[in-house]
Amino acid sequence: MTRSVIDPITRIEGHLRVEMEVENGVVADAWVSGGCFRGMELVVQNRTPEDAAQIVERICGVCPVSHAHASSIAGDKAYGITISNNARIIRNLLEGAQFLHSHILWLYNLAALDYVNPLNALSANVDEAYRVALENNLALHSDLNQLYDKLNAFASNGQLSIFSGNWFDADNGEAYKLTPELDLILTSHYLEALKMQARASEVAALLGGKMPHVMTSIPGGNMWVPTESKLDDLLAMCQEIQTWVNDTVLADTVALAGPYAEALTFGKGCGRYIAWGVFEGPDWPYGDDYTEQMVNRYLPMGVLDEKFGVSDVKEDLITEYMGHSWYQGDDTYTSPYFTTDPAFTDYNVDDRYTWVKCPAYDGKPMEAGSMSRIFAAYVRGVPFIKENVDAVLGILGAQPGDLSAFQSTLGRTAIRQIETMYVADLMVEWTKELMEAIKGGDSEYFRAPERTTGEGTGFWEAPRGALYHSEKVKDGKIEGYQIIIPSTWNLAPINSEGEHGPLEQALIGVPVADIEKPINALRTVHSFDPCTACAVHVTERETGKHFETVTSPWGVK
Amino acid sequence: MENQATMSEFDSILASRGVSRRSFMKLCAGVAAAAGLSSLAVPRVAQALEESVIGATSGNLYPVIWIEGASCTGCTESFAQVETPDVASVVLDLISLNYSETLSAAAGHSVEEAKAQTIAAGNYILIYEGAVLEAFDGNALRVAGETGITALVEAAESANAVVAVGSCAVNGGWMAAHPNPAQALGVQQYLKKVGVETPVVNVPGCPVNPEWVMSVLVDVVVMKDMDLLLNRLNDFNMPGDLFNQTIHDNCERRGHFENGEFVYEFGSEEEALGYCLYPVGCKGPQTRSVCGVTLWNNRRSWCVQAGAPCIGCCEANPGNPGDNWVEVNTPFYKRMRDLRIGPFDLQPTTIAVTVTGLVAAALVVHGFGMKASGRMDGGAPFEKIRKWDAKHPEQEIGTYADPVTGGPVLDEELVHKNADPRHND
Repeated sequence: MTRSVIDPITRIEGHLRVEMEVENGVVADAWVSGGCFRGMELVVQNRTPEDAAQIVERICGVCPVSHAHASSIAGDKAYGITISNNARIIRNLLEGAQFLHSHILWLYNLAALDYVNPLNALSANVDEAYRVALENNLALHSDLNQLYDKLNAFASNGQLSIFSGNWFDADNGEAYKLTPELDLILTSHYLEALKMQARASEVAALLGGKMPHVMTSIPGGNMWVPTESKLDDLLAMCQEIQTWVNDTVLADTVALAGPYAEALTFGKGCGRYIAWGVFEGPDWPYGDDYTEQMVNRYLPMGVLDEKFGVSDVKEDLITEYMGHSWYQGDDTYTSPYFTTDPAFTDYNVDDRYTWVKCPAYDGKPMEAGSMSRIFAAYVRGVPFIKENVDAVLGILGAQPGDLSAFQSTLGRTAIRQIETMYVADLMVEWTKELMEAIKGGDSEYFRAPERTTGEGTGFWEAPRGALYHSEKVKDGKIEGYQIIIPSTWNLAPINSEGEHGPLEQALIGVPVADIEKPINALRTVHSFDPCTACAVHVTERETGKHFETVTSPWGVK
Repeated sequence: MENQATMSEFDSILASRGVSRRSFMKLCAGVAAAAGLSSLAVPRVAQALEESVIGATSGNLYPVIWIEGASCTGCTESFAQVETPDVASVVLDLISLNYSETLSAAAGHSVEEAKAQTIAAGNYILIYEGAVLEAFDGNALRVAGETGITALVEAAESANAVVAVGSCAVNGGWMAAHPNPAQALGVQQYLKKVGVETPVVNVPGCPVNPEWVMSVLVDVVVMKDMDLLLNRLNDFNMPGDLFNQTIHDNCERRGHFENGEFVYEFGSEEEALGYCLYPVGCKGPQTRSVCGVTLWNNRRSWCVQAGAPCIGCCEANPGNPGDNWVEVNTPFYKRMRDLRIGPFDLQPTTIAVTVTGLVAAALVVHGFGMKASGRMDGGAPFEKIRKWDAKHPEQEIGTYADPVTGGPVLDEELVHKNADPRHND
């Protein structure tokens, strides 16, 4: 048995370490550790719910909007506010802009480098690349000749910049399977994606002042008031993104699926899913029936068991266990609860080894994320999702409705693109809906609190999964606050029953040909799109491994 | 062919990248503007860029290590939105970003090795994002088997300069807000404490504005003149051109303030008219930065333009984590009793006397006066007592009159006795 450690995991948000026991080329055991404690729940104590919405979004620079919204919903509920229809649409638009930003960034700029080797594109024949692109219906928004020259210039300089110490030679050079031509095409999309994720953020900035950390969503609704020119800009930007997304993301995923089909055979995880639902539905409002509100979201709430049987979320079935994390005691708390007592001991995978708490639903580990949302939407019968999921299943050679075909590292990576396309379409639809509402004379964006004492829970979704904020408010001040972020579900440590968390389970069974560069493990981690500054993190023992990078800081001369 | 005009070698490089000379000069102008240089500097920037562009000379990218401390990745995210030039050009053509937890292709020990080699070779810039955490002997933040503070010191010692990006890196940011459970503080203060003498440049903001980071990089990476950068710094080691004026000084809604036209409720009719957000708690008058000039996300918008009052996220005294922007500015949507620039700033009338030329001083007079006269009725109430005063009774300088009828009543003796200069810690 050999220990293989990846620390830090790069191209994620936050600090994450993965430690694995490798036996006969396969991961036999795994421990995931989140490395940072910041104490958000303590900082918002005794501040107002409005302030809290602004402060808690600073948990995460990748999904701040979701935190602002989950907190605002908790505040709405505590204050007894039903937000106006325009505020609902604007919150959906803000959230959607962030989803697009996050998903585009994640696929191309974070995860893609596990599959695409831009340096291999140097061997490409550009004419051939054009032929390949046309044959496979791959988007051609860039001049590949120019890109080729740019890469050549970059390579001949010798400094590798963000490619320093890359794993492109992992598994004896077998890990990266694309032809140079495909690498060239997808590298052009990598660079386009950098612009597109910025464009999506620009949409969020138009609505929220700036991104990350938008300024306009607080309990009561939203502060942004549309003008005609802003609405025009909004529509134009949403359409630009929609066009690029529809041209690019699914075809690229299909192009990756062939060469990397092996990644469909590992990385399943715990096989149980939670989605709290996101993007408030069109028949607003839903009165006091929270379940009705969540089921009617554009991506609906759903708790799925091993056989994809769906049930409605019950708050008191959500618990958190502290026994393997750096907090006092080994109690299991039932939500909502308001206790956070950090206590670092030591990194010891047999005892406590992470800053991440261990959440459970009905006592079991659950996977959160885009795949969970798509599964819930499929089971609940959302038309766009049904149609596209079945189409992708066809491409994968599976039967329509066979969701189990997605339960793998590559499946988890691929299915997110369906959501990207769905949201890109919805953004245009919502913009037009807002325009119509304003034309119809609707001009309400913000409502004042009905009361200043109460409790509220915001069930919502961040791009990376189910997000939970709960708060107790007395006389306009917060007395207790609890957050369970999506990566806490996915990166959970071993629970009180000794069962591993979802990512740990997904890692067990992953083939590792090269313990120095366990690329399949990295692909599996990235398929979850983890985000850990919000969860928290950890360490490593001396491995004694020797490693030579392919570049020096001053380049290979 | 001899009678034909020929392209210079540099122009042909530009052409091979599909960049026209004209758009290149436009880029240079953008860089110069971001650096706070006049348009006269454009040819100089152009020359410097030519010399550092790949292919013009080899191996000439400036090595940069970007460490995320206790961060939310928001500053990296923010930097990834930059368009002057875009981030791909920055990391491929301008700097060699040898370590970035968000962008590096490598992972684990490979990326740590890339960092170690960069440190050993020296002559690099360290960009540090996020707070420094001291709790649990530094174990509140662990990366690659060591504490975050160890990683910071290792990388900072050999750097030409440390750029602390974002308010967390400057003084702990929101993490330092009460009760500061992770014992957060800023880079400058921590390095001073452990005796590391590398110069620190502070660029606050939550997140940092990418154009401000570019303007710092331009001095060092493009102009290759550290003094250009260091000479820009104010007493807080922040570039003075970016952080000496208040938001209020340059606000697009300033005219409405002068006219007494205000927003009293979010998303209201007054908001649709773009009136001043002071009554709903705007911290623009006391927050120093050029947000309203630089704008955000490719100059798309900024907080006030979107109808959100400034919440003072650039407020960060590098020497005092307790003076973080959350502690200073909450409740965000209440009017502060008075102006504050840094921890020691005084009651309004005193400001008017002591800080000559501070246009914002007029604000409080306006604010209190207008409320009293009924010109600006409504809006959020004032704080009962200024929070800083409540915590520092020993430094009182007077008493409060009713905020509706009048401002603070200063006691000359107390003012004299307790009026601290800004750097007496």
